[in-house]
Amino acid sequence: MLKALLQIVDDIGECLLFLRLVMRTAFRYPCTWESVCEQTWKVTVQSTATTAMAGFFVGAIMTVQFTLQLKGFGALGYLGGLSTSATVREIGPLLIAFLLSGKVGAYTSAELGTMRVTEQIDAIRCLGANPIQEIILPRFLGIIISSFFLLAAGLIMSIFGGMLLGSVFSGINPEEYIRHIPTIVSPFSIGVGLFKCMTFALILASVCTSKGYAASGGAKGVGRAVVSTAVMTMVGIVVFDWFTSLLADTALHLFAEGL
Amino acid sequence: MTATISEISIFLSRSLRALFTPPYRPKDIFFQLEFVGWQSLPVILFCVSFAAIVTIIESSFHMKIVVQNDALVPGFAALLILRELGVVVSALLLTSRVGAGLAAEVGTMQITEQNDALRMLGIDPIRFLVVPRFIACVIGGFLLSLIANLVCLYCAMLVSEAKLGYSSGAFITGMRAFVSFQDLVFATIKGACFGAVIPLVSCFFGFRCKSGAEGVGLATTNSVVVSSVLIIFLDFVLTYVFSHFY
Repeated sequence: MLKALLQIVDDIGECLLFLRLVMRTAFRYPCTWESVCEQTWKVTVQSTATTAMAGFFVGAIMTVQFTLQLKGFGALGYLGGLSTSATVREIGPLLIAFLLSGKVGAYTSAELGTMRVTEQIDAIRCLGANPIQEIILPRFLGIIISSFFLLAAGLIMSIFGGMLLGSVFSGINPEEYIRHIPTIVSPFSIGVGLFKCMTFALILASVCTSKGYAASGGAKGVGRAVVSTAVMTMVGIVVFDWFTSLLADTALHLFAEGL
Repeated sequence: MTATISEISIFLSRSLRALFTPPYRPKDIFFQLEFVGWQSLPVILFCVSFAAIVTIIESSFHMKIVVQNDALVPGFAALLILRELGVVVSALLLTSRVGAGLAAEVGTMQITEQNDALRMLGIDPIRFLVVPRFIACVIGGFLLSLIANLVCLYCAMLVSEAKLGYSSGAFITGMRAFVSFQDLVFATIKGACFGAVIPLVSCFFGFRCKSGAEGVGLATTNSVVVSSVLIIFLDFVLTYVFSHFY
């Protein structure tokens, strides 16, 4: 029990130290803009289809569930606003982060781990280049930037999914569905969604690069790194989901009292 | 495309046949159940209890917009947890933990020719590898969704007492108005179905693994992504089907 606890603290500390190293490198030896764009493009293209599909079904699920609840109150008019608001603030960022951690996180940590165990990273250092600047930093920034594009794709598809199920399942026509979106989804909610998305992407990027970079022990070590990346990002995402919600709640209260 | 579909159907039919014909392997099933159920329990419970806190905060936010007060929060939060959140969060966690592990294990066996060795010994790899994991994941998904839902509800109760000031009695009264035992039954059915998806998808990708370390990584990634998307899709289908029973 104590050993497992120490292991967890060890993992967190390793990840934070690596994050500090990456940040320091980012300010002292920035990588080229082209390499960041290349990684962003790669990540976005890899995951757009998956994210869009998941977003579509999430919108559909939220609509069905909210219909069942709202029917009892005769408040079906609020359906579009409520399910969109829930998706934008909470479910969208969370789900996209989960999918990204499965796809991009696992891929990146496997790629970096393979580079580490086949000594390609040492080779880069031997050539006089900084491996963090050359290979870690572009991936790090690429994951964070592309998560915003993927969030946008997922959210738009979730609105379409909700609209479709709204007219098929609950008899709300698309105009009615869309008309209520601006009344409930405020700019503040969108800001919360974006902030959550950025936090999750930061966690994902730092965990998967640090785990991949620190992999050791051949092909088995790479497998271990991938699985521990997946578990650690999931736990980190859920914990920071709570934290950002709390932060948003506090900010809302501050604003409400200030006004 | 056609080749993939035929491969999937052959894999599924062979797994189904192996599932219902002896010899059964109870010892293997219990070993796998320990890995799937017991070892995943701490992570899942931890995540689910944080998800409960978020649910309470978010539903109180929305409730204040629509009906101006948050008196209905316990009921709605319990409904959301039992119908969607508890099961889906635990299934997605199970995918990334168990699914990735299975795909990596089976993929490594495939590229080091251990599966061919099994076949040489007259053992069907599907019977030997897939069936115990399938049964263990179905039972594990069922039990984990049950435990996760109850712990999630309990945490929601604690949070609504601490944050919104509803006593536990008020929470349970509000909950009983919206939720019935039926919801828990549907949640466990969903959990078992999601549990069935994970081993089938990861073993399928593991058996198709191309040689080399990169192949194993690709099989792992693909299996996690495909089973997450399938779980969300299945969730939609099951939600739609169950919505006719309420």
